[in-house]
Amino acid sequence: MLYFILLSGSSINAESEYSASNSKISLISESKTIQPNDSFYLGIKFELEKGWHTYWENPGDAGEGASIEWSLPKGVSSSNTLWPGPERIPVDPLMTFGYNDEVVLLTKITTQEDIDFPLEIKAKVAWFTCKDICIPQEGNVTILINKGEFSESIEYEEIKKYADRLPIEFYENYRVEKLDQKYFLQSTVENDHFENVYFFPRYYGLTDYVAAQIYEKNENSFSLEINASKTDLDLEKFEGIIEATNSKGVFYFDVNYQLALEKSKEQSLLLLLLFAFLGGLILNIMPCVFPILSIKVLRFIQYSEESSIKTYRFGLSYALGVILSFLLIAFILIGLKSSGEVIGWGFQLQYPLVISVLFYLFIALGFLFMSNLVLGSQLGNLNSLVKVENESLESFLTGILAVIVASPCTAPFMGSAIGFALLQPSFNSVLIFLSLGIGFALPYLILSIKPSLLSFLPKPGPWMETFKQFMAFPMWASALWLLWVLSGQVNTDTLILVLIGGLTVSLSLWLLEKNTSEINWIKWFIRSIAIILIGLSLYILPTSYSLEENISEDSQTYSEQRLNDLRNSNELVFLNFTADWCITCKVNERVALKTRKVKQILEDKNINYLEADWTRKDEKIATKLEEFGRTGVPLYLLYPSVGKPIILPEILTEDILLTYLSEVE
Amino acid sequence: MIKIYAFVFSLFIASNSLGAFVQNDEAAPDFKLLNSFGEEVSLQNYKGKKVVLEWTNHGCPFVAKHYSTGNMQSTQSFAKENGAIWLSIISSAPGTQGFVSSSEANELTTSRKAIPSHVLFDPDGTVGRIYDAKTTPHMYIIDEQGLLKYQGAIDDAGGRGFMSKNLLEAKNYVKRSLKEMEKGNEITNPITKPYGCSVKYSS
Repeated sequence: MLYFILLSGSSINAESEYSASNSKISLISESKTIQPNDSFYLGIKFELEKGWHTYWENPGDAGEGASIEWSLPKGVSSSNTLWPGPERIPVDPLMTFGYNDEVVLLTKITTQEDIDFPLEIKAKVAWFTCKDICIPQEGNVTILINKGEFSESIEYEEIKKYADRLPIEFYENYRVEKLDQKYFLQSTVENDHFENVYFFPRYYGLTDYVAAQIYEKNENSFSLEINASKTDLDLEKFEGIIEATNSKGVFYFDVNYQLALEKSKEQSLLLLLLFAFLGGLILNIMPCVFPILSIKVLRFIQYSEESSIKTYRFGLSYALGVILSFLLIAFILIGLKSSGEVIGWGFQLQYPLVISVLFYLFIALGFLFMSNLVLGSQLGNLNSLVKVENESLESFLTGILAVIVASPCTAPFMGSAIGFALLQPSFNSVLIFLSLGIGFALPYLILSIKPSLLSFLPKPGPWMETFKQFMAFPMWASALWLLWVLSGQVNTDTLILVLIGGLTVSLSLWLLEKNTSEINWIKWFIRSIAIILIGLSLYILPTSYSLEENISEDSQTYSEQRLNDLRNSNELVFLNFTADWCITCKVNERVALKTRKVKQILEDKNINYLEADWTRKDEKIATKLEEFGRTGVPLYLLYPSVGKPIILPEILTEDILLTYLSEVE
Repeated sequence: MIKIYAFVFSLFIASNSLGAFVQNDEAAPDFKLLNSFGEEVSLQNYKGKKVVLEWTNHGCPFVAKHYSTGNMQSTQSFAKENGAIWLSIISSAPGTQGFVSSSEANELTTSRKAIPSHVLFDPDGTVGRIYDAKTTPHMYIIDEQGLLKYQGAIDDAGGRGFMSKNLLEAKNYVKRSLKEMEKGNEITNPITKPYGCSVKYSS
């Protein structure tokens, strides 16, 4: 840690070398003679004791790169410090980037026309020499450059060695996608392929230094998966250098990619909240919800006639039920999101089980409207509460029911809006769901506070019963629609089973309604039959829904037979060879294949989408891949109605894909 | 069905924190460590007060400069004036730089005129790893509710040429964040790049 002090100002005694503990620096030039209007490399050479290191521009988790301050004669200028590609120097559990044992940091020096020789160039260098501990060091070095033709100095080779390690602009086409706290650097490879690629970030807060990066080499592209930094600063640029290795050596390339900003960030929260609120309001008149609410609201008229009952209590209980349900949904969705599930709203309609249960519910509700059976009153009897409180509880449950029956209606109607809400930070998502709930509960709440708003309606009477019965039809219409959704997911047998379930549900409700026997055992006998029937209807619910089928909603499993059939009838086919473990495939699917526009064009142009899942290395798929000279995925084939298939690039963008799809005939 | 299970399962893990690292605006993980007087100190005891955590290693040149210039001490006294507790934590493993005995630690506090509330020993690096402390110094600020509010450097003097910078002229992130918390404002840079020597963890 002791330095000796250089005599400054004395050019004659100036040293080109400086020794400190564990390290030595020297100022070297590729040529000792130079012309005016020229440029050349100067280098600060660090020679460190074995096992010691100094740092790169971004030192990683700890340490600091060297700083070089030049004193230059008039007419001479210097570039910034040029950093050769670094090494990874792990200091468990941390990761640093730097140079072991030796490095030459380069600077490009440019001379103008009018300069005085000899050029005396000085550098003040401050650096850290580190092993398990770090030593800060500082020293001055000087070099004299004379006038003359460029001639390689004895240090020329040394400078060249490090100049070759300076990163150059990456000549391949690449892109960077950020998905779920991971960056995917993907590049085509038109020249020599690489055996391995590693990314060194230029700035803090971009990528995780310690976590391993996963390199995936494809036929003529590669993908590199890099974890985002745990202290993610959401940088707009993906900037750094990549170290790419192949049989010809190690190459360093600059990468600098403008990341696509998530649009959700630019949306003002207030606007989102307003839309959610309006959406909630509109939900009230959707066919799934309107019947239930209108019938409930009609009761207010009755109450207001009796006038002694404060109906606002029911309104408040109802609003509470609605809002709590929406909050619960919000928390479930956020929980799912944080577990890494990729979901949007409408996911509930991807499960036949959920759809079937909703189908039963709508059938049953329709039946209840048609009949005189009142479930709520029975529920009330279970508790020994006074009447008004029964009603409050019932209103609360109505609130929950309203949210449940609203769920299939929200899917097509507000799916994208809610999906958008899920992109927001968790706290905002909760706010959005909350404002959706408030909007949803508000009309009922207002009417409960001021039933006189309904005074334009006729006096209570038989018309209300007629109205109630009529409201069964929108319920059954909703049930029909659910059945249609279900038909896209299960086969006919299962569909028929669900229909039978609907029948048994209706039958059991009818039994309950007609069960007015005074004799206890008969009453209970009929009740148990009804319960058995309901049990049966639940038993036959389709649960055998595998993930493979999950995809089949918009895609179909590949088989040679299916492909040939489609080809023989001159159909357009898009064949996607993919696998769960294939990074490139998954990124392509996220950013291109499964986007709305692509789905639309597949539908519009009647292109049959087939998926060959290579996750378990299926023999038949392997054969098909071999046909196209491939040993792995991804492979995208687009079959025109006649002729050979077009092989699409391995790295897809939405634009590329749309172009191919729109041009194919 | 698998997704539905994932559903339920996720609710469980969502309540636990998802990784071993800390995040701003989330509860700072509790810890119990021995101080330089052999007493047990728990973060929990300071609920209701702001707490500053300083990862330190007196042998690290970065730390040494912050103490020799009085910059660290001035930050400590600023924090104290704001009612904050200051915990200096040493995660150096035995035999590595910065590892000290209790008496050495107290001697360092006296000789450097430092005023931490406690100097804490974390020789197996458990707490350091939970907080993902990377450098000495590496600073954290926890608010009265026990939520982590700031993590990163002490100031903006990091970067090349650190040894020749005047620390007293640097922008002190810890002081600024404490001030902003006091006023109830948002913290301008809640995450900054920590700089310094690597924490000398046991491997």
